[in-house]
Amino acid sequence: MNCLEFRRRLGSEPACSSEDFVAHRSECAHCAAAHARAEEFESRIRAAFNVAVPANLADRILLAQTTEARHGGRGRRRGFAALVLAAAASIVIAVVAVNRPRSGVPELAAMVVDHLQEHVVGADKTGGPVPKQDVMDAFAARGVSLASVPDGVNYVHKCPAGPYSTVHMVMPERSGPVSVVYVADKRIADQVDFSRDGMRGRQLPLGKGSLVMVASADTDFDAIERVWKSAMGEAVAMSGSRDGVATGFAGPVQQSGSSGAVLAAP
Amino acid sequence: MKQDVDCKETATTPVYPPMSSRQNQFEALVRGHSTDLYRYAYWLCGQDALAQDLVQDTFLRAWRALDKLREVGAVKAWLITILRREHARLFERKSMPADDIDDFDLPDPQATPERRTEESALRQAIARLEPKYRDPLVLQVLGGFSCSEIAAQLGLGEAAVMTQLFRARQKLKGQLGLDDQAAGVSEL
Repeated sequence: MNCLEFRRRLGSEPACSSEDFVAHRSECAHCAAAHARAEEFESRIRAAFNVAVPANLADRILLAQTTEARHGGRGRRRGFAALVLAAAASIVIAVVAVNRPRSGVPELAAMVVDHLQEHVVGADKTGGPVPKQDVMDAFAARGVSLASVPDGVNYVHKCPAGPYSTVHMVMPERSGPVSVVYVADKRIADQVDFSRDGMRGRQLPLGKGSLVMVASADTDFDAIERVWKSAMGEAVAMSGSRDGVATGFAGPVQQSGSSGAVLAAP
Repeated sequence: MKQDVDCKETATTPVYPPMSSRQNQFEALVRGHSTDLYRYAYWLCGQDALAQDLVQDTFLRAWRALDKLREVGAVKAWLITILRREHARLFERKSMPADDIDDFDLPDPQATPERRTEESALRQAIARLEPKYRDPLVLQVLGGFSCSEIAAQLGLGEAAVMTQLFRARQKLKGQLGLDDQAAGVSEL
């Protein structure tokens, strides 16, 4: 780098730290002096740019954000309700509204998520696997007979989610705990993967109901889906042969997969 | 069958905390970058109240899109990009005359009266710069971005950015009555 190149660089990027820039500065006394003067000017520019920041700016931003986070859901629900009401005017709109994911999360999963945010299961409740009979009983109370219970259910509870009856479970996976909720009395049509607020999830039809899985990290939902489909498939076969009561999984076990529609975060 | 009514449980360590880690990340983002972002917004739009609105809108948009943030090192550029888009959305048809820059006299309690006068004059000189000179200068001085990063932000070539930065400083010195030698830029 020669003096001219150095001065050009100095004029456009005084804080430049490239090797040739620094080397020339150390070799050329005139340019080193020019650099010192430029730095002095830069400090004045910096001071001028540093206008006073309003007090509590960060706090006010956080207040706005937490307020939006708390009320955003309700706002979106109102929006959704308005779309449903518009059905009277247009059947097309009604179809769109009914199938419209609410802020990136399908309706059923959104109810489950709402429930999970209210019903926080403590780590102290999930120290180890619960007795498999407890899981069987919880499903039986929902009218579902399981032939087998997947390993690794560390928490089980019968809970409501919106108007639906569910079995709320926690399954610790390598990536972190996964909330697995079986909604016994609502069968959705299709599998959907979703993502919102740092969580990921999947809902899929299973038996007469639906299975909703939610985790706060990337999780192998396929594996969990497989074990539950297997458990439900066996349940159909066994209950059908044992007491003739169909539990709703009338066909062969569907192939699992992650090919469901992926809904991007808003 | 009656267990449904006894559903809520309390716990100190939630197994399913989908909001908390995200909230913590966002709070760190706000506390770490709101000051720089406000100053950038101020020099972009020239008004304190608008700058505050811009910063708040930027962070709310960032909150909604937080899942897209993958590289911590790129967070400042990400926020600046959001802010620039917010600004463009709101004010793209409204140029900012130099006179719109307000609040020049933001007192620094440590500064001498002479220093305050000098800062005020420099702020007015910055405000009078055309946006094509001021924008890269703000990104460089406040954002700490390199010429190539500024070029990426502004959609310009790196050489063009270097020229604009050079001229921005020359213009500032010209407005302040400083000769180039005093500023050490082009005495050759």
